[in-house]
Order: sequence, then C-alpha cells, then structure tokens
Amino acid sequence: MDGKIIVVTSGKGGVGKTTITASIGAALALQGKRVAVVDMDIGLRNLDVVMGLENRIVFNIVDIIQGRCKIKQAAIKDRRIDNLYLIPASQSDDKNAIKPENMVWLCGKLRKEFDITLLDCPAGIEQGFRNSIVAADEAVVVCTPEVSAVRDADRIIGLLYAQSITPKLIVNRIVPRMVENGDMLSHEDVVEVLSIDLLGLIEMDEYVVVSTNTGTPLVLQEDSKAGKALHRIALRLDGHPDLPIENPMIQKTFWKKLSSKFSRKN
Amino acid sequence: MNFNEDSPPVKIKGVGDSLWVTINPSLPIDQLKQELIKPFERLKHLAINARIIIDAGNGEQESSDDLIETLGTFLKKEFQVGHVTKPVSQNRAVTQNRIRQQDMGNSWHHYQNDGLVIAGRVRSGQKIQAKKHLIVLGDVNPGAEAIAGGDIIIMGSLQGKASAGQPDNEEAIIVALEFKPTQIQIGGFVAGGMTESAKNRPEFAYIENNAIVVDDYIKENPFRRLAWPEVR
Repeated sequence: MDGKIIVVTSGKGGVGKTTITASIGAALALQGKRVAVVDMDIGLRNLDVVMGLENRIVFNIVDIIQGRCKIKQAAIKDRRIDNLYLIPASQSDDKNAIKPENMVWLCGKLRKEFDITLLDCPAGIEQGFRNSIVAADEAVVVCTPEVSAVRDADRIIGLLYAQSITPKLIVNRIVPRMVENGDMLSHEDVVEVLSIDLLGLIEMDEYVVVSTNTGTPLVLQEDSKAGKALHRIALRLDGHPDLPIENPMIQKTFWKKLSSKFSRKN
Repeated sequence: MNFNEDSPPVKIKGVGDSLWVTINPSLPIDQLKQELIKPFERLKHLAINARIIIDAGNGEQESSDDLIETLGTFLKKEFQVGHVTKPVSQNRAVTQNRIRQQDMGNSWHHYQNDGLVIAGRVRSGQKIQAKKHLIVLGDVNPGAEAIAGGDIIIMGSLQGKASAGQPDNEEAIIVALEFKPTQIQIGGFVAGGMTESAKNRPEFAYIENNAIVVDDYIKENPFRRLAWPEVR
C-alpha cells in the first residue's frame, strides 16, 4: 500500500513547524511506522539541526531531484529512533531549484519507500510553499494564539482548500495562565476564526528549547507536556482520530479549585 | 370594425400605458392563440406585466367576454402579462388603484435580482466582488475583502474589510450580525474599524452628514419607515 504525504505548514514563520514536524515524525516512528521527514526550506535548512543530524549530511533533496544520488543515499537515519529518516534541504540553492513537477515525482517515490512522509514547509506562500503542497495528501496547519499567526493560517487554509486538501489544525504555544487572564487568545477563539478540525493543542514548554538545542527528540523526554501532546497528535494523525484532545489547563491545588467553585456562584 | 378576408387576424398597437390587441373573433380560438404567440414572442420582456386590452371588434357584446377571458388567461400564462381587460367603456370605475396593486403584487414574481448570494467563510486573502448587492451567508475573516456596487449583508461575523456602494453610491449600507470590521468603505468614504468589542447584535453602517455612522440594526432600521416594499 502506498504511504501518505503530510505537509506541515503555517504561513507565518517561527510558530513551531520544524519542531512539530521533527516530533511528530519521531512519535510516528516510535509507533512502528516507517517515516521520512523532508526539509522543504531550501536555502534556510533547520530540520537537520533540530534533529541533531547536521554532521551527517552528504546529499540533499536537490541532489535527488537533479539525479546526483538516490533517495536511499540522501535519507539520513536517526541516531536514536529506528525507522525515522531525514531528507535534508540544500543550504546553497534557493527555492527555485525545485519545481512542482519534481515534487510530484519525488513524492511518488517516497510513497513507495515510506509509510508516512512529513514535509516541513517553509514560511510564506511562494515557491517553497507551492512545492510542498503540490503532491501532499493531507495538511497540518500550525498556528499560535496570536492574531498575526491566525491571519496567516487563515490564508494558508484558503490556499489548501483551493488545492482540494482539507487541513487540520494544531494550536501551539498556549499559555493557560494568560488565556485564563484574558491576555491570550484561547484555542476556541482560534478555531472559531479558522473553522477546521482540531488535531491537538500544545502548551508552551521550556523543554522545547532544550530539545532543539541538543538535538534530542522532544517525544523522548518523559516529563515534557509538549512531548506528550505531540505523542497524542501523532496517534490522532495515524489511525486513532477519535482520541480525545487534552485542553492545557493550570494545575490547580485542591483548595484553589474549591475556592474558585464557590466564588463562581457570586 | 369589420374584418376583411385579407386583414391580419391579430393586430397590436400601444395605447396609453396598455397594449391594444385587436383580434378577429370569427376565427377559431386555437388559431387565434397561434397568431398571438408570434407578436408576443417578439415583444419578449416588454410583455411582462404589460396591461392588455383585447378588442374583439364587436363593441361590448356579451358573447365576446368568454373569448377575451380565455385569451387573457392564455396570455398571462404564456407571457406573464399584467391585467387583461376588454375595451374600456362605461365600467372605467374599475378602480385603477386595485389594478395597480395587483400588478405590483405580481411584479415580484418576475423581478430579476442581480445581487450575489454566497455561502461559506471568506478567508484571509480572498476577495469577493459583486456588481450590485452582496450577501454572505457566513463569516468574513480578518484579511478578507467584500466589495459590492450596492449593499453588503453579512449573515455572520464581519471581521475583514467591506466596501459597499463602489464606486460612488453613498446610499449603500453594510449590515452584519456581528459587526467588527478592520475597515469599511461606503462610496468614497472610509472608516477604520473600532477597537471596542462588538455589541453582539446586528449593526449596520451608513452615511450621514458626510460621515460613516454605525447603529444598532434592530433599533434604527432605516427601511422601517418606507410605505411600500420597494426594489433596492
């Protein structure tokens, strides 16, 4: 059976696409799937750093497309997780080095090799984005609870629908305390504007910085809230769509809960 | 009036605000119908709602009443004509008003709307343009644009940009169930969105004293005072 191509996109930069791609890839591989993560951000590659595989790059995606190597030669196996492979971007070319028809061809090959291929889409809606969505079967839109991120995600969703792809939403970097105080959009506000299916909610988590800097997968960190959320997202993405979505909330002590219950009655 | 063998079985001419149709009552009714179709087809939309007077050429004889009635029903059915009478005579007392009201009531059936009705969510970066009125059954998101030559009616939340009455219709209004646009334009006037949160009830924007004003739509409905429903 052919594998799926899933594009992770957001429109706005810096909302966590790359981290989420790496983590979902790792989580799916831990579930026993054969997974490839592809860095589509040609010229500004990051995914290799986040995964800690920077020093092993020999060939990249542009080499595959220009016929200088085979997919197997360019795909780098992860250090810790079996079945997880990275296809890195080229740092010296730019987005125009790949054309949409090249991607259709490449994704056709990847479908045969891997159960799931995750494409880490660059920010923006130009060539890099077009290349990423042209052959995708599914899309995951990452959004943070900020008006600017919501605006860009909305545009991206419109463009995905125009390509007949129905996207799913991840709301990243939620700070429950700020949401409670009304200083941050709640995920309900975001979903109300974007009105697409929710795939998961990820809380702001300091482990993400540690994990990115050391190149260790977030999903392997036992007590990371974001890691747990990403595990559940990976399950929901592949085979368990009905797994309930956990809403990040402030951990309240028993007495605080009790007092807030009483104060609500007034 | 007498008919010769060579005079046409059906003649039409405009009289006042009506069409005067002269028929030859001696011909069979089916042939008359066939003869009526030809000129009325040529009239096309001019026939719609037109007032028709059918003259059977024999004054006010009772015998022709049935014929006129049959042909009248036929014309109403085939060409949506308005009121059909026999030649005006003493019974002009048939109140003109009633006829006008009847025609008015009928006219809604044939009114061709050139407004644009769309359903769904207009997302950031999308632009909806209508020649005349624009009705959106859904939300207009921030970053989206709705543009119309006439009014804009949003059956949902308006959070993007709305430009009504483009380019120069200052009578146009913008209505939304939840009114919190980033910017609105009516004709040549522009207003920025308000920072205070929407009132969670339908509001509308219009031009008063060269400025855009926003009001509660339920309380200040501008069309409530109109005496008779009219086409906008």
